[in-house]
Amino acid sequence: MDIEFIDLKECILADNEGDAQEVRDLLKEKKVVLWNIMSSPGSGKTTFIIDVIRRFASKPMVNGKCLRFGVIEADIESTVDAEKMHALGVPTIQLRTGGGCHLDAAMVMEALKKMPLDELDVLIVENVGNLVCPAEFDIGATLATMLLSIPEGDDKCIKYPLMFTVTKAVIVTKMDVKDFFDFNLETLEKNTRRLNNDLRIFPVSVKTGDGMETVMEWLNNQITSNL
Amino acid sequence: MHELPFTKGIYRSVMKKAEGVNAKDINRVVLEIGVLHDFIPEFVQKYWDFISKGSIAEGSKIEIRWKNAQVQCGSCMTIYEVGKEEMNDPKCPNCQYEFGTMLSGNELRIVGIEIVKNKPAESPQGE
Repeated sequence: MDIEFIDLKECILADNEGDAQEVRDLLKEKKVVLWNIMSSPGSGKTTFIIDVIRRFASKPMVNGKCLRFGVIEADIESTVDAEKMHALGVPTIQLRTGGGCHLDAAMVMEALKKMPLDELDVLIVENVGNLVCPAEFDIGATLATMLLSIPEGDDKCIKYPLMFTVTKAVIVTKMDVKDFFDFNLETLEKNTRRLNNDLRIFPVSVKTGDGMETVMEWLNNQITSNL
Repeated sequence: MHELPFTKGIYRSVMKKAEGVNAKDINRVVLEIGVLHDFIPEFVQKYWDFISKGSIAEGSKIEIRWKNAQVQCGSCMTIYEVGKEEMNDPKCPNCQYEFGTMLSGNELRIVGIEIVKNKPAESPQGE
């Protein structure tokens, strides 16, 4: 038998990487920042996004205008989050992955075609709630952050290391219930800095507003420097 | 579950290559995966068996080679390697500092495939 080993040396996600670059190129041309927000289910992504959009709406930039937002909602099923965004008056596209545990760049590109990109500055992607798969797929985002809620615990970085290396910041949500859990912010910082020394950690409570001004200042810098 | 879309991508690339080199059978597919990935080899094999059924890749084995991550120490800037076992507690071998920045560990590559080649058709004798 004639057995041979053939080299491929090919990236498994080559197709997705090509699609992600197309997303990046399009949004660069349109001057829109794509902000990918990832987390596990129930960390408070939708609540956080609504609060951030409201805060930006009352925060004019240097030129006196406010940032204009759009939202891509990704869920395995349902449109409940998209309905909340619609109620806010923000252009929203709901992507239903129909069982898929993440978004890929091709799905985002389809959503972009339906978005009024010329009327937007920031397009938020609320990714599928999952700490594994969304970290694996580049969707062409300019800015990637994750949310980690107090009830999830301070050890998630050990269990899902990749997620903590592809994000610029961890926004620790639900700080108002911290006293009921054994969540230690120092432990979280120690665990994350082992993998990503530059990662920023922002403890917040959307409910009380604590920490929101600090994270808003950082977000404002991240967004405006990429516009 | 996230292994499924990856396995589909691997199948597309492998079959394209196998056709191009006139393979009769595929015995083995070798992957190189960075240790930051949460891949379960048994799942990849299971999905592979399902996807490749009825093709020349049916019955072939997926071999995963884990690739260590490279970390740059946040103190002395030494670059060192971290394997899957040390992921939870990486330390710089030079200064023992525990914080650093991952420089790699995110690889997802198909290294190659082991195939059985079709014999080239013999030209008819005496013509």
